[in-house]
Amino acid sequence: MTNYMYLFRGGQNTSTLSPEEMQAHMGKWMSWMGGLKEKGQLIDGLPLAGEGKTVTQEVVTDGPYTEGKEVVGGYLIVNASTLDEASEIANGCPIIAEGGSVEVREILAMPEPVEN
Amino acid sequence: MSQKTEQSDHANQVVEHFFRHEYSKVIAGLTGKYGVVHIDLIEDAVQEALIKAMGSWPFNEVPKNPSGWIYQVARNHLLDTLKRDSKMESSRETEQMTSASDEIVMTDLPSDIEIQDEELRMMFVCCHPSLSIEYQIVLTLKWLCGFSNAEIASALLKKEDAVAKALTRGKAKLKTAEDAMHIPLGKDLEQRLAVMLKILYLLFNEGYSASQGAALIKQDLCFESIRLGSILLQNKHCNIAPLYALLALMCFQASRFNARINAGGEFVTLENQNRLLWDQRLIAKGNAYLAKASETEVITDYHAQAGIAYYHCSAATFEETRWASILGLYDLQAQITPSPVAALNRIVAFAKVHGAQKGLKELAKIEKEKKLQQYYLFYAIKGELLRNAGDLPKAASVLKEAIKLTQNETEKTFLKKKLETLFDSK
Repeated sequence: MTNYMYLFRGGQNTSTLSPEEMQAHMGKWMSWMGGLKEKGQLIDGLPLAGEGKTVTQEVVTDGPYTEGKEVVGGYLIVNASTLDEASEIANGCPIIAEGGSVEVREILAMPEPVEN
Repeated sequence: MSQKTEQSDHANQVVEHFFRHEYSKVIAGLTGKYGVVHIDLIEDAVQEALIKAMGSWPFNEVPKNPSGWIYQVARNHLLDTLKRDSKMESSRETEQMTSASDEIVMTDLPSDIEIQDEELRMMFVCCHPSLSIEYQIVLTLKWLCGFSNAEIASALLKKEDAVAKALTRGKAKLKTAEDAMHIPLGKDLEQRLAVMLKILYLLFNEGYSASQGAALIKQDLCFESIRLGSILLQNKHCNIAPLYALLALMCFQASRFNARINAGGEFVTLENQNRLLWDQRLIAKGNAYLAKASETEVITDYHAQAGIAYYHCSAATFEETRWASILGLYDLQAQITPSPVAALNRIVAFAKVHGAQKGLKELAKIEKEKKLQQYYLFYAIKGELLRNAGDLPKAASVLKEAIKLTQNETEKTFLKKKLETLFDSK
């Protein structure tokens, strides 16, 4: 099994949602992540704050993102057997229906030392 | 376990309407502490706290004390903003703010009872005499029901910017009213309570009126009215007999929700409802409230209406409805608060007891009422009586008038159907 990183971009603009709508939104994410947890596929993950800094050789800038849909809102590490399976799992994420995207990347592991 | 139940299990970690009710509680708690002058910042802080909860809870576990979590995050956010704002201002105000911001380190949270008291106080604030009924209603929906402007607009069939305007103006009035946060005493308390009951009654009716499309939010409106009524009930100065009567009325009416609309979204009249779909739990609640409401000498309009609703709910079939008792209560209501609309509803019961012919004669007595001449229900009832009296051509023309006057599509469909089948029935 291999670990994959999911990067969540964009999705619903949540700032104007009513409390009731927020709860419904959260419920969808809880269902999806709860399902992953139950199947032992969820390794780790956290949301990310909207603000940030970008550091380059010349300058440090605030908020590197020009558009809302570019913002990475959080990440997950998920266990799957192939990239295809990992993408399939990501396809169930509520962010897809909200117009956002999930970038799926394999996390490269150090080669295991071979004992003999 | 199927995928479906698995999913709902996870989503159900947070009880239904939790955010909406938390919004109300935290708004009330923070406003009680920091005053209605800061209400805009308080609203932002609570919204911000809920957004944080929404974004982080799915990744982690739901906190052990989710209410406390939201309160704490909202309060911290509020105090940070107040502190930042005060740095830009000067002198005495700053001093006050510094002492407030010292409380950031405090982790004490208000108890459930304290929060309940603050919600109660907030209900009084929303019914402050400086506010018009319109402002009182939208502020109650905003602060105590946690409705967004869009939800308020859809529940009250208003435009969203009209709601926003009413909220802004209502808030401005409260910010300048020195006694906005005071709970009145004695006679003033009585008067304010009466306003509050009226607001709950209006909210409930708004939600109860048959309508298409926004059915769900309308139903929520009814259950929110019941919830707010129950909060009032917890206070020994507020649990007056009319409140019990109002709660009884609301429970009886709400018990029929599932039977009022059929699978095709059409309105079903009382006569044709499947009574097995009535919510017996709510009816039992209504019965208990009605019993408490009767422990009084003073009989109000709410009592009469609750009594009428009781007789409808307690009839096993439409045929077994005790119309004579209902008519008696309509007569009582006409004495307490005479109104053309109540008089019109009374005719329905009157005709059930005395027959359609006599009903029509009774109807003729109130025909001149201005309020009824543009009221579709007047023509709908008249049409029904004419039909029962056998005057089909006249019934048809009166029903057409009713169809012309109703704005509500569900009602319109219902009346059209009645008109179409008018000549089949006999």
